[in-house]
Amino acid sequence: MPAVIMILIFSIFPLIASLILSLSRVRLRAGGYDVRFVGLRNFEKQLFGSEQFHFLGTFTSISLLGWVFIIAMGALLIRWFSVYLRGPVVVIGLIGRIITASMILALSVLLAATLLSGNQFGTLGVTLFYVLVGSAIQFLIGLGLAIICAQPIWGRTFFRVVFFLPMMITPIGIGYAFRMMADTTKGPFSPVWQFFGLRDFAWAADAWTARSFIVIGDSWQWIPFIFVVLLAALENVPRDMIEAGHVDGANGWQIFKEITWPSIAPVAATVMLIRAIEAFKLVDLPNIMTAGGPGISTESMTLQAFFAWRAPDLAQSAAVSYLLLFIAVVLCVSFFNLVILKRRAAIA
Amino acid sequence: MTTDDLTQIPSRPTGIARLFEAPQMGKMSPAGCVIVYSLLFIWTGFVLFPLYWIAITSVKLPIDVNSGPAYLPWIDFTPNLHAWRDLVVLEWAETLKPYRNSVIIAFFSTIACMFIGSMAAYALARIEYKPKFGTILMFVLLMAAASVSVGVWGVDWRLASASAAAIFVLLARALGRRFKRSVGNSDILFWMISQRILPPVVTVVPVYMMFQSVRLLDTQFAIILTYTVVNLPIVVWLMYDFFSGIPKDLEESAQLDGASQFTIFYEIVLPLARTGLAATTLLVMIFAWNEYIVALFLSTTKAQTMPILVAAMNAGEKGVLWWKMSVVIIIMIIPVVLMALVLQRFISRGVLLGAVKG
Amino acid sequence: MTAANIGADVAVERRAQRLSILALNKSFGPVHVVKDLTIDVAPGEFLVLLGPSGCGKTTALRMIAGLEVADSGRVILGDTDVTEALPKYRDVAMVFQSYALYPHKTVAENIGFPLKVRGVPLEQRSAAVRDAAAQVHMEEYLERYPRQLSGGQRQRVALARAIIRRPSVFLMDEPLSNLDAKLRGYMRAELKHMQHELGVTTVYVTHDQVEAMTLAHRVAIMDQGVLQQIGKPREVYDNPANLFVAGFMGSPSMNFIDGRVENGRFESDGVSLPLLNGAPAGPVVMGFRPEDATVVDPGMGQFDAKVFTAELTGDVTLVTIVIGDKSLAVKMPKEYEVDFDSAVAVSLPLQNAFLFDAHTGNRLPAQFALPPGQ
Repeated sequence: MPAVIMILIFSIFPLIASLILSLSRVRLRAGGYDVRFVGLRNFEKQLFGSEQFHFLGTFTSISLLGWVFIIAMGALLIRWFSVYLRGPVVVIGLIGRIITASMILALSVLLAATLLSGNQFGTLGVTLFYVLVGSAIQFLIGLGLAIICAQPIWGRTFFRVVFFLPMMITPIGIGYAFRMMADTTKGPFSPVWQFFGLRDFAWAADAWTARSFIVIGDSWQWIPFIFVVLLAALENVPRDMIEAGHVDGANGWQIFKEITWPSIAPVAATVMLIRAIEAFKLVDLPNIMTAGGPGISTESMTLQAFFAWRAPDLAQSAAVSYLLLFIAVVLCVSFFNLVILKRRAAIA
Repeated sequence: MTTDDLTQIPSRPTGIARLFEAPQMGKMSPAGCVIVYSLLFIWTGFVLFPLYWIAITSVKLPIDVNSGPAYLPWIDFTPNLHAWRDLVVLEWAETLKPYRNSVIIAFFSTIACMFIGSMAAYALARIEYKPKFGTILMFVLLMAAASVSVGVWGVDWRLASASAAAIFVLLARALGRRFKRSVGNSDILFWMISQRILPPVVTVVPVYMMFQSVRLLDTQFAIILTYTVVNLPIVVWLMYDFFSGIPKDLEESAQLDGASQFTIFYEIVLPLARTGLAATTLLVMIFAWNEYIVALFLSTTKAQTMPILVAAMNAGEKGVLWWKMSVVIIIMIIPVVLMALVLQRFISRGVLLGAVKG
Repeated sequence: MTAANIGADVAVERRAQRLSILALNKSFGPVHVVKDLTIDVAPGEFLVLLGPSGCGKTTALRMIAGLEVADSGRVILGDTDVTEALPKYRDVAMVFQSYALYPHKTVAENIGFPLKVRGVPLEQRSAAVRDAAAQVHMEEYLERYPRQLSGGQRQRVALARAIIRRPSVFLMDEPLSNLDAKLRGYMRAELKHMQHELGVTTVYVTHDQVEAMTLAHRVAIMDQGVLQQIGKPREVYDNPANLFVAGFMGSPSMNFIDGRVENGRFESDGVSLPLLNGAPAGPVVMGFRPEDATVVDPGMGQFDAKVFTAELTGDVTLVTIVIGDKSLAVKMPKEYEVDFDSAVAVSLPLQNAFLFDAHTGNRLPAQFALPPGQ
């Protein structure tokens, strides 16, 4: 029980304190700080006020592509609900689904209004890019490597140890190492850049190349984790189930699709949850590799909160953190309840 | 029987298709072999190249770094140990301080975390808790009131927390029985996991202010305490699974033999869960060793850790001191790799799997 | 004894095929698990591979299935050499000891899986699934998941998954060992009946000699990777080829007395029996089955002994007697009663006693001389 109480104190205290901070204006003075209650003004500033471009992005009118996307997402959600309502409905489940759906809808409207309409998106969009695109790439590569290493290959132990190495290196170090790697004049790949006539090409000056480099660095660090867990899961699939599949006449792809994948899916879902949780908190890499630039195009929400703290504007920092917490919790809890629990129930 | 026609046994493919099929069980197809090994080597290169680059950068002169890429020591450039000499000999005292801090902080926070976390996990795995929903709510509200009174009205924090605790005990006694709804172990467990969702910046600002108010900023203790709490959910979550996997009758037989609860835990349960303990320890240690944001917030000079030193190599007027930074990164990696090699067999044995079965 | 006339009395289905394994060898590292195994299984025959755990019987089965590849030797199914073919190119179905059901698939999906992966259209497939499920009396459980079934029901699903394909050969790896004793007896009968109905060549692996005796057309007994004896269950029981087979078949197992052949007699501590045709002098082992001997009053039998215990097991009374430091078991009618430690004698029809070479373990052709009156 002491651990529970300790976590209770240490997690609830900061939560409450952050909430208070985010509802206040904080001014540092010599030897302390003044706190004044300002209601929801900090959040208002982020969502609708002077920080809107920073947090959400820049809006103009929504393009045709944007509208198509919004309508498609809306249709998907309506279909999802109609399927759900046909089955047994529980009040809490319904409320949860409504919250999930409105969050997804709001985020798709945001995506449509910024990226798909040719506008810049803010730290929220960047964060989601890291979470969704980064995690997806890392999952696919991690799974691929795990499948390869589960084969009867020569030198298994060597490859496993090597593939696990990046996990042990401090994210700070990884950030700097990748800054070296990506240097177009002094980095190891500069002859390659030159060959393509990109000697003066500054990847950090372009929003998308900058983001891609951060995702590559992030992947370098996190694929090992996904790889190790999925490899363990693959090796835990009962061997005679696979053998039964062979005798039943299935080919390699059928065995993976029909037997292996359903068995490792719960683990895969959980490892993705862990990965997504950590991706929401990505801060070291963009801070070091690009300092959030060019402009704000690689700035994650955590980095925004970090910059606000350094400003020092504790209240804005807390407000951004709270917004991140809210979004992360809704998405993670939805994922947990709608994906992981279902996967687990399927093989329990 | 009609099913006879349904199950024609296919014959082996011929020609090119043959390359894509294993000749027999337990072997790979020729094409698969080529693909698998080339992917393995590509990925090994992708993993090792940045490490190699860090290693050679650490023995380059500034001029070698700044004049463009040089790949092979003794061929493209002459290795020079100047950065190593600077950090490990000349400024050894300045390198040693954060190194010692890092070791102490990682060591003690890992120990504390494993100790408290595994006990909590064991309790959750073995004892059915039914805390009343109302009691928890009350506790949270009182905590809120205490923090508000400290933060907003400037009440002394000792007074506020003491009175909040007193009121809680009194009220819990008086009202405890009236609350009906209770939460179970699985709720506690999920709530623990959800603590990991908290972004460090949510926690670190209030924690910063908290330590500031008790004058503990820039101490090893503050960082140890924070890491312990931040990593506790991982420990509880991972160890819960390992403990649940241990058959109960072992403990019951020990109970019949007259062992106390603590003896059972230390003599029977912990040894059985040692693979899990090893992997969890490694994971938590890596997190504590490499953590940057919390350390940055909570330390200024005295309690600096190694990641801060890495970042500090960017502070020179001539931009990043790549050679020195590479040295720092390398000396940071060494102890973790050694630990990991010792614990390697535990990691690859499906131990982390227990982590995520939840 | 050839295999052909064994299977002849069985209804041979069109797809039942002959299965031959020739001089099969398999090593795992330094351990030679299967040594020169040669067995010929007739179409429609029920062959049981019997042996203690670790004797290589399961490895032999897995080589037939294609899950392991033999180091040397051949596996021939019908007219095709399948020694190195992948399992999917062999017309075999296998029931695993753990059943190996797919936990995320319903009973119907489990049973239909072999057809699904071969691209059989859904309609035909579900008809076939219903057929197969009906054969194992599982029609009502088609929508359940394996976790919702009892052990016996899971076992039936595993069987149905094997029979749906009408394979040329069934392979079964201790399919009944995870069931409780009562259910095992029942499933044994079902299995035997089903194999008879389908007439499919079957290789069945078990360590349980009762299963082997009851199910098999022929039993192949293995020890340490080597085939010890193959034959009809009765033959193997009545005419064991060596000490191992004699000791493995039967419960309680055969009594053995170590001794020597001297002057045309079997001599041991407290036992001396005449031999008919001259066995070469040397150390031997004499054996007899508990049910072949009777306990009689002192002086009335071939050798004297003392009662150690008498246990009523239900249908018989099992008497344990001691001669010197040797204890022997004798089955007596259930009405038989005797005091512990009382002096008795053992009467043994000597045509039912066996003599084995103590060194090689092989059966010796020598016969005991029947005393007058027997």
